[in-house]
Amino acid sequence: MSGQRPRSLTPHLFVRDADGAVAFYRSAFGAAELLRTRLPDGRVLFVELAVGAGRLLLSEETPSLNALAPPTLGGSPVLLLLEVDDPDATARQAVEAGAEVEMPVREMFFGERYGVVVDPFGHRWALSTAREQLTPDDIARRTPPDV
Amino acid sequence: MTVNPIPPLTPAAFQVLLALAAGEAHGYAVMRFVEQVTAGTVRLGPGTLYRTIGRLLADGLVEEAEGGDPHAPHDARRRYYRLTPLGRQAAQAEAALLARMVAAADHAGLLPAKEPT
Repeated sequence: MSGQRPRSLTPHLFVRDADGAVAFYRSAFGAAELLRTRLPDGRVLFVELAVGAGRLLLSEETPSLNALAPPTLGGSPVLLLLEVDDPDATARQAVEAGAEVEMPVREMFFGERYGVVVDPFGHRWALSTAREQLTPDDIARRTPPDV
Repeated sequence: MTVNPIPPLTPAAFQVLLALAAGEAHGYAVMRFVEQVTAGTVRLGPGTLYRTIGRLLADGLVEEAEGGDPHAPHDARRRYYRLTPLGRQAAQAEAALLARMVAAADHAGLLPAKEPT
């Protein structure tokens, strides 16, 4: 139907080792598993997680369905933005659970405390909290010339 | 740092908490309550009910009550739930916020005029 407006947007991640990924997202980001479906051969078709106020879908890598995980693709072109109260604490939790720091959490010119971690499955997460409420003009003025 | 222990509520989450505020109930009763209280404009399907209750259980806002058959299939419609103290607190906070907004809407002339007494 034309003019229909989407109601929400949810990332669907492909991983090698869906069970490991569920365990990681649980300990790193406090995810709660809501739903799990399996293929007849026992492979996880998808797991639905609640992460904060959002949803996250996960599937086991399945090349025949064109569901390819980051190691197969040589990386991920997507940065998942997770807004939390305390990005330092969330980054610490993620690292304890097996993530690697891509960019340490720090104050950014756009008014957020922000850092990037890569999870053990190759997906990239920006962890952020708003520190100041800036207008687009404020941000333009504060953008360093070398960004 | 202190983290607010009450997570933000989605509309569906508030409706489920509201349905359980008067006492424990099974999922079917929750679905019926929400349909009645919204005059049929909101229908929680079994999938939404299951996901919403799953999130509320994980956040510690509701818990499973003993009323149901523990061997019943994993179907939220047939299981019994009740509010936890944190769930009641979350529902109260949301209701207070909504009451303030309704008062503001009334003040702004968005509600039908009251019958003169």
